[in-house]
Amino acid sequence: MNKLDCTVCQTLIHGYLDQELDPPMAAQVAGHLAACDECARLHDQARLLKVSVKRQAPYYPAPVALADSVLAAVAPRPRAVEHWRKWLAPVFSAAALALAVVLYVVTPGSEQPLMDEAVSSHVRSLMGEHLNDVVSSDRHTVKPWFTGKLDFSPPVFDYSAQGFALLGGRLDYLQHQTTAALSYGRARHIINVFILPTPEADKPRQSQTIRGFNVVSWQASHMRFVLVSDLEKSELEAFSQLLKP
Amino acid sequence: MKRFEELIAPHLDAAYNLARWLTGNDSAAHDVVQESALRAFRFLQRFADGNPKAWFLTIVRNESYTWLKASAGHRWVAIGDELPEDYAALSHSQTPELQAIHTENAALIQQALCALPPVFREVIVLKELEDMPYKDIALVVDIPIGTVMSRLARARAMLKLELMKLHDHE
Repeated sequence: MNKLDCTVCQTLIHGYLDQELDPPMAAQVAGHLAACDECARLHDQARLLKVSVKRQAPYYPAPVALADSVLAAVAPRPRAVEHWRKWLAPVFSAAALALAVVLYVVTPGSEQPLMDEAVSSHVRSLMGEHLNDVVSSDRHTVKPWFTGKLDFSPPVFDYSAQGFALLGGRLDYLQHQTTAALSYGRARHIINVFILPTPEADKPRQSQTIRGFNVVSWQASHMRFVLVSDLEKSELEAFSQLLKP
Repeated sequence: MKRFEELIAPHLDAAYNLARWLTGNDSAAHDVVQESALRAFRFLQRFADGNPKAWFLTIVRNESYTWLKASAGHRWVAIGDELPEDYAALSHSQTPELQAIHTENAALIQQALCALPPVFREVIVLKELEDMPYKDIALVVDIPIGTVMSRLARARAMLKLELMKLHDHE
């Protein structure tokens, strides 16, 4: 039967709620909860408490002025960079395109630089104010926005019901190709979904960690999908299941 | 600079949130994060690999505690091995516990969390607001991973108690 002592169980309840117990231990706790009213009551209370805190406790994001002053302190000329970015972006895009054409001929496609580029782009999207070109949680707004800007049609869906809300989309540039970037929000985490065309065959899903970010990628129907986020690996994988059941 | 942008900058929100909760004060949190970021920048080459967020938050936490000490709190590190004495009395009070816990009142939650000693407040912030796994919380608050669960258990028990107190006073 169940050998768990109530005192021990009342601590384990928390690991159980936070999904930090290994499966045999979790099974023991579940068994005990089914049989012990007092522990079950405390478990319910702890669960409600978690929900209340997650929902109601304020989250204090860094004020913009702080982010600016931190970056200014570590960078020699951040203002110049910003200025440059704003005014020369179109010129830069054109130059990058030209360079891309040259490089495309010279270099064969390879996996790692794409993932690396995707992570860098993810970071950039969070640092500036350029997460989205089109801000909408409505896929019927986001998807048409891409029409005419891309030579492929990326799938755009909202998964709010599953806890992954569509925030918007933007154009990005990875592997010398115009890329659709969709952003999704999960609690306070942002997920960037990069979609770009590929002539290559389908490839199964794979996960990796690059510079502390979790990355899930696959190829299907001549499109490459790269998901980047600071979200927990298991949650990001769960999200990828929604995109590619 | 590039390494800083990639490793540290994405976690400024988490840094500010933790510092704000620990110091309870906007301008202190601002100073703490600014100082922590400079430290992180200076010592970035020492960070080989692992979790940059946990590494940065460790610095932020230390800076927050330095600020707390300097601002002359005296009960702030009191950990205490037992739950407060009024716990027994309260747990038999008339207040329906569920009603107190399942509050929709954000101000109440904030007040209750602020009433916890920082060592308990921080594990709740890291777990519920940052969604960090135990192994990362252990790194940030510098305790063995096995202690994280019991620390959280105590923190949640104390938070429940505070909420019931506030609920009683309403």
